[in-house]
Parts: sequence; structure tokens; C-alpha cells
Amino acid sequence: MAAVNPKKLTIEKIQDALRQQQYICERPLATVVYLSTVIGKPLLLEGEAGVGKTEVAKVLAEVLGTRLIRLQCYEGLDANTALYEWNYPKQMLRIKLEEVGGGDKRGVGAEIFSEEYLIKRPLLEAIQSNGPAPPVLLIDEIDRADVEFEAFLLEVLSDFQITIPEIGTLRAARRPYVFLTSNRTREIHDALKRRCLYHWIDYPSFDKEYEIVTTKVPGIQPQLARQICAFMQQVRAMNFYKRPGIAETLDWAAALLALNRSELDEPTLTETLGCVFKYKEDLNHLQEEIKAKQFKLGGHAGAPAPAQG
Amino acid sequence: MEAVSDEVLQRAIEDFAPLRGRGLIVNLLAFSRVLKAAGLKIGLSQVIDAGRCLAHTEIGNRADFHAALRANLASSHAELGVFDRAFELFWRFEGPQGADLEPLETAAAGSEARDAEAGEGEQALGWEASDDDATAESGAEVSLPTYSAQELLSRKDFSEMGVEESRAISRAILLIANRIATQVSRRKKRASRGSEIDPRWSLRRSIRYGGEMLELGYRRRRVKKTRIVLLCDVSGSMDCYSRFLIQFMYGLQNELWGVETFVFSTALTRITHLIRTKHIESALERISETVLGWSGGTNIGGSLQTFNREFAPSLVTHRTVVVIISDGWDRGDAALLEREMRSLKRRSHKIIWLNPLLASENYEPLCKGMRAAMPHLDLFLPVHNLSSLLDLGRKLEKLAA
Repeated sequence: MAAVNPKKLTIEKIQDALRQQQYICERPLATVVYLSTVIGKPLLLEGEAGVGKTEVAKVLAEVLGTRLIRLQCYEGLDANTALYEWNYPKQMLRIKLEEVGGGDKRGVGAEIFSEEYLIKRPLLEAIQSNGPAPPVLLIDEIDRADVEFEAFLLEVLSDFQITIPEIGTLRAARRPYVFLTSNRTREIHDALKRRCLYHWIDYPSFDKEYEIVTTKVPGIQPQLARQICAFMQQVRAMNFYKRPGIAETLDWAAALLALNRSELDEPTLTETLGCVFKYKEDLNHLQEEIKAKQFKLGGHAGAPAPAQG
Repeated sequence: MEAVSDEVLQRAIEDFAPLRGRGLIVNLLAFSRVLKAAGLKIGLSQVIDAGRCLAHTEIGNRADFHAALRANLASSHAELGVFDRAFELFWRFEGPQGADLEPLETAAAGSEARDAEAGEGEQALGWEASDDDATAESGAEVSLPTYSAQELLSRKDFSEMGVEESRAISRAILLIANRIATQVSRRKKRASRGSEIDPRWSLRRSIRYGGEMLELGYRRRRVKKTRIVLLCDVSGSMDCYSRFLIQFMYGLQNELWGVETFVFSTALTRITHLIRTKHIESALERISETVLGWSGGTNIGGSLQTFNREFAPSLVTHRTVVVIISDGWDRGDAALLEREMRSLKRRSHKIIWLNPLLASENYEPLCKGMRAAMPHLDLFLPVHNLSSLLDLGRKLEKLAA
């Protein structure tokens, strides 16, 4: 599809464009994404694992026909990995060459600390990017990084400029579209939150999830899709260590399709539970619930559950 | 985020009623003040950005208007509920045609609208009923008989301590606190010795010697402060320790960064913000005003479930040490306790259970609750007098290694 001009975005256009990229989103999310792009404020997306936080940024980059620059956070992530690093081997080689060749050595110092010897990491790349449209910068799982990195990020996000002592200050010509995601394994600092718009992505409603499944897994029987979604709705209302997200729903739907099932019955459910739950305790818990007949597999109202296989 | 009742919101809205009708920006300011009164953290820059966003939003569309304000003014999942309620109460909409947004005329209008839905008689309970289920329940159970541990105790207990001893305890707590709170970080700092060379520093240094690497810099892992979550049993059977408990909670919280404190009996209450004060007396007052079910029955499993569901996702990580102080007398479901302990164990770095009863010679963890929790503990220790606290300090040192 043709890229959308960022200047001509509207809420409806974002929602439609996301939908064309097979990302089903409600209007509030489209509104917030739109506002984030027009007022140039980063958007912090929070929600349980697997509800499609990262997808938003990816899909938006495609919609705008621009680059996606992704910074995956982890504990211990520091400025050298996020921003820039000098290319030490290259610098060393240069110094050694200079020694062998003789000649004027005074220029070497300035030269090996020039941009040629700089390894750009995601943040610097986002700031220096000069494509037709500003890039989308995705800072993924910010809650995994530590507090020190947050403080550093705060500085970058407020001015979109970076100071490299050896070179000087580099400023972004155009602000990138910034998305931050968090799984809430810890609270993000207030100062960082204040610089972001906030949106919480909830588990999808039945209707939304049904739409997602039928869009993303073409060829699935409507009956089966309904059963899968109804099952997910029930499971998410219960107490599991890791409740399954949309990603699990889609995996499961694809698996069932590959197995040529057109209906969800108890044996099928037991066989394929691994797609939904990734912890032994959760699996056991679910087996118990199934035995206690806590689940309605839906579809045919009133029909007795099939005998266990 | 603490539960905010509609009354608080209504009162805040009334406070700003004189401002109404003076245009959208004034109303927006008033609304943000109401949210502030309800405990949301809002800075002026956020209000300004909210205003900027409204300029790009069709404010006649209620959903868009709501989304725009919410993205700017709420900044955590816990705040969303309060925001939505305040929004409903504050902004009165006149359908899609009337793009004119007026805040509530008086507080009464809002409750009338709500009455119409909820029906009379429920007015007093309203939404608070659903929010405060837990506390109401605990209130009802206060009168239930509880286990009393008094006769099981040996003589020299915290139940009877003087000023001098209390100071010694504070010092012991500080010692413990520092040991619990020290852990190795993944972040590195430069060091003169270490296992990993710091190329950045070394190369910069080499320039001084004309490109010859004469000095090598190293990197080493840094020591990092851990987070502590303290869960304190304040049910009836723990009564005789309550002075010690309060001192322990107070001491730990004020000595260390990032301590979160909760108390539980039949329900769980977060009291971190209550004891973050320099005066232990005023802390006591505020706690007694807030905590329901003090000296009540015990439901450890249920309290842990609340904790795991509401607080653990944001407070407990693999760096967090969870300290539970309880005698383990549980009136709730042992299977539930077992499951919740397992889930907590997986999330946290260490779980330490301090049990005052462990001091008495013939104590064995026979009660169901304690037995269910035992397999998931990293450390199970007595706390009943000063020497036990010092002992705790020593054990923790080994654990941290």
C-alpha cells in the first residue's frame, strides 16, 4: 500500500491503515497514536504480555512508509549500547598505521574521534535519520532496563539531542515518532511518564479477538474461531500465573488449523494446550478445571461435553 | 493507588464549581485539579499537552475527548479507574450535536444521574461497595475468635520491651536492612582490577602515551540495592508483637530506599505512604485510622492472592526480597496459600519468613498454613528478641553471598 503522509493523518486514517496492515485496534488507541504524532510526544504503551504493544509501532512504521528503529531494553543496558560506541579496533588500526607511515601525527587524535569511527546505536540512529519521513523509534520493554537508563532516556527524549564529548551536540532535524512499551514488571519513573502520553492496552473483547483471529488466520472455520475466543475469555478471567495473550490465541488458532480441526472438543483441547499455557503449574491448574467441567466449550448450547478421550 | 471514593471526587468537583462555564481551558484546569485531589500525579506540562491535544481532537466526539484527556492525565494502569470515574462525574455531555462541554452544575446532578441507574437505597453504597468489598468483609470478621499465641511464648519477648532495648533493636534492624539490600548489579563500573577490559577507557588512556596501551582499565559489576517488600501479619494472634512489628516496619522503611510495606489480617492494606514520616507516633495514628481488621482473624492465602494480583506485577521482580512476618496461623484455605506462595516465589528473588513462634522450644510448624508455605521459603527464622534479630543479620549475610 502507499505510504500515508504523516502530515495528513487523521484518527480514521490511522485506524483504517492499521486495519489494512491487519492490526485491529479500537478508536481510543488510534486517537492516542494520532495525538502522539501531531504533538510530538512519545507514547507509553502498557499492558499484559502479548496484547500487541510492540505491533503498534511496527505497523505504524509500515503505514507511514518509514524506518522502524528498535531498541530492546534489558537490565544493564547502558548508554554505550543504546547511543553510540567508538569503533576501537578501527581506531587502534589507524593509530598503528600512522606509526608505521610516519608523517604528521597531530591530526590523528581528531580523526579517530570523527564520525567515521563512530558506531551508531539505535538512539543516535533515530536522531540522525534523514529519510523522507521521521523514523519510528520503538523502545521496547523499558521496564526491563534499570533506573539509571531511564534517567538517561529522559534526557534524550526531552530534547532529542545527544552530546558526544569528542564531536559535539547532535540534534534531531525532525523528531522521530517514539513508542515505549512496558509489561509493568516494575513501575516506570514518574518523570519519564510525564514526558509521555499513556495508553493501556487491555486484553481484547470477544468481538475484537474474533476479528483478529479471522483476519490473521484466514481459512479458519468461524465456529472454531468463536470457540477459541470464548475459551480465551474464560481463561483470562481465571487465576493463572501467565494469562495467555493474543499472541497465544493466534498460535493456537494456527495450530488447530494445521491439524485440520474444525471444532474444539476436549481431546483437541488437551492435545494443544501447550500453545496456550507455557507453565506446568498453569497446565495442571487448567486440567483440574477441565475435569471439574468449569469450561463451556461453546458452539452448541446445551449439548453435553464430549467424553474424555 | 489507593481507592478513591466518589465522595472525595464530588467534594473536589464542588470545590472547583465556581470556575465552570469559563471556557474549555479553565474547565480543563479545574478537571486536572480534581484529578490531583484524587491522588493522580499531574504536572502542569501534562495539562498543557492535554490542551494541545484537544486542539487536534474533535471534542464533540465524547470517546475521542475522553481518550485525549486520558492519555495525557493518567499515567498508570492503577490511575485509569479513578480517571474514568472522575471523567464521568465532571464532564456532562449533551450529545454529539452540543459540542459545548460543561462540567457538572452541582455535585447533586451527578449523584442523581447515578441514582437513576442504581435505584434508591443503594446510594450510600454506590460504587464504593464494589471497591471496598474486602475491607467490609474484614470489618465483619473482626469479632471472630482468633488464635492467641500468648501462652506459647517464652518470657523475654518484644511484647515487653523498654526504651534501651528498642534502640538496640533499631540498630539491629539497620544492620539487617543493609544486608538484605545488597546485591550485585548487571551494570558495570570502571575498576582498577576486574575480569573484563574496558576498551573505551583504555583507548582514551593510550592516547596520552601516543597510542601505546600502557594502562588497562577494567570493568566490574556494581553492587546494587535490592528492593524489599514487607508483608506483616497484624491479626489477633500477633497482637503481643504489634509494637515490635510497627517498629520493624518503620525502621526498615526509613533506613532503606524502596521498601514497600503491607499489613494483612483478613485483607491486605498498603501502608508504605503512611509510615513514610519522621514521627513514629503520627505514623501509628495514621495506620490505626486506615487499617481495618487490625487484630482480626487471619487469611494469609487470600491476602497473598490480593498482593500477587494487585501489587506484585509492579513491585516484585527478581531483585525483590519478600519478607513475611507472621505466626502462620491461617484460617483460610491452605491450598490457596500454597499456590500463592509458589507464584510469589517464582516472581521474587528471595522469600524470608520471620516467625515469632519459632522461638518457643516446642514449636513445630504444624499448622496447615505454615506447612503449606514452608517449601517455598528461602529462609525461615525466629524473631522474638534481640539476639534473634542479630542472628537474622548473620544468616542474611550468608544468603546474600
